[in-house]
Amino acid sequence: MEAYYLLLLFGVTSAAFYLTATRGLGARRYALRPALFRMLECVGLAIVLGAVNVAVGFLLVLALRRLTGSFVSLYLNTDGTLLVLSLLQAVVLQWWMRDTEGDGDG
Amino acid sequence: MVIAVTRLRADYAKGKQEGTHPRGVVRVAARAIGATGLAAFALLAFTPLAAALHGGFSGAALPRADAIVVLGSGVMPEGELTDNSLRRTVHGIRLFRQGLAPRIVLLGPEYNGVVEAEVRARYAADLGVPADALIVEPGGQSTRDEAHRVFARLGRGRAATIILVTGLHHMPRARRVFEREGMVVAAAPVLEESLRPEQPQARLALARAVAQEALARAYYRISGDF
Repeated sequence: MEAYYLLLLFGVTSAAFYLTATRGLGARRYALRPALFRMLECVGLAIVLGAVNVAVGFLLVLALRRLTGSFVSLYLNTDGTLLVLSLLQAVVLQWWMRDTEGDGDG
Repeated sequence: MVIAVTRLRADYAKGKQEGTHPRGVVRVAARAIGATGLAAFALLAFTPLAAALHGGFSGAALPRADAIVVLGSGVMPEGELTDNSLRRTVHGIRLFRQGLAPRIVLLGPEYNGVVEAEVRARYAADLGVPADALIVEPGGQSTRDEAHRVFARLGRGRAATIILVTGLHHMPRARRVFEREGMVVAAAPVLEESLRPEQPQARLALARAVAQEALARAYYRISGDF
């Protein structure tokens, strides 16, 4: 029931945002699909960067254990905050790549 | 979903045709991964998939044993046990009060100056466990470490039979590690997440717990402990 409620809420607010964007903010309908694909791009980059962060963190903890001889928990790398930080990295990387396109390959 | 995949194929073909820069390849790959990730998110949050991935929970009858062993789970800086630690502690004390073993081993290392095993021991004493039945072991930092220490505390050279108390997700790995150490283990798992969650957030928490334990098992397999 809770799941359906959230989906309904998401649907209603998305429809409201669509109307507000097209009527109030002058957004073009044809630009919605590319925007959705850019969102997918950002999510994909966040997943990849998140996996890289976890893998590097894992190796870092093992190295710290070996170097210091003290116990450092591997669970440090499964903190949900790392997902948010990975998303920030993804947003920056995505916009960086986009802004670089105008400058050619240099 | 079908539309998204069709569109991704078209993008890929377009990129190939134009002989695009590696950035283009990254973009197409990121879209595919993003679409897959969002589909997985939707399935885990809005369907009972996480519960299906977990399997089930069946409480078997427990035999008498040499000791009840309660694995560590965490303590707050304020000196209170975390929810999971409290569940495990209470479960262990209940089994002790049922007369299933003459001793109870309470584990849990120090976090932020508070020793989990000692906090648990105070609970146990307050709930009527006699001091001579309590074994407090604050040294174990990992499941493997806990198994070494319990084996040492229960007496080397003989196969101690134990009732192992830990979280349901953690039990298969913990049981294997304790058995490899030379103990005979009866499992008394504690349910730490609902296996029939209705809220998306609870479903995602269950999926996270399953994934985290899968990673831990993979690590233990690689290091030869599972």
